Amino acid sequence: MTLSSSFKRSLFVFHFNAGSCNGCDIEIVAAITPRYDPERFGVRLVGSPKHADVLLVTGPVTGKMAPRLRRVYDQMADPKVVMCIGTCGQSGGVFYDSYNLEGPIDQIIPVDVYVPGCAPRPEAIIHGVVTAITKLERLEGGEV
Amino acid sequence: MQTTLYTGYGVWDPVIWTIAGAVILLLVYLLWRGGVSTYRKGSEQERPYLSGNAEPEKDAVHIGGGNLYWGFTEGLKGYYSRLVPVHTGDLNDYMLWYFGVLVGICALVVIFQ
Repeated sequence: MTLSSSFKRSLFVFHFNAGSCNGCDIEIVAAITPRYDPERFGVRLVGSPKHADVLLVTGPVTGKMAPRLRRVYDQMADPKVVMCIGTCGQSGGVFYDSYNLEGPIDQIIPVDVYVPGCAPRPEAIIHGVVTAITKLERLEGGEV
Repeated sequence: MQTTLYTGYGVWDPVIWTIAGAVILLLVYLLWRGGVSTYRKGSEQERPYLSGNAEPEKDAVHIGGGNLYWGFTEGLKGYYSRLVPVHTGDLNDYMLWYFGVLVGICALVVIFQ
């Protein structure tokens, strides 16, 4: 992994809650606090998917949120990486047999990085972002 | 050829303006060329981000000039509710009003002269 070349530009991250209980969202907020301070590497949350390189998705994807998740994904510029944060996004978690789920996330949009946990620790989320960086580097280099 | 005009307030030269325009156009082109090359025309990337919601029809969200006068017409509702129906758009009605008022004024003149 060549971190130096990946940080030639800032990695902008957009967070999308697809029906999460907010546990993962709180851990994402914890990951951007001064204790971990990923912003020193240019990794920061942005308010629009149009500005983002990485899409962080939390939650098992409810019926109402599925079309919105698709639309937000389509609005992101290429190359882009999708990160699934938490167990719910991977399998539905404790909501797996709920009547109003259309997820998990990879049933709706392609997922590149999975960060398991209920909820995952900030260190795990940051590790996932670093993994996403390496994937982005490969995408930008023309590899898939 | 003398192209520069000196006045007490400043200088005007069309050649300088033309050069400045060309430089600005060049900068704009360079900025445009440095944009996202993977941009897909006609896709969702062209539509606004509204928290993931679909973009509503323009008619559903458009605020016309008439909307700005809502408070005005609402405040003078008593006036407009009587006056607007009278404006039928039929010339015969307007001529009838014209002759009616004319007859009324003539009657007043004859009575109070």
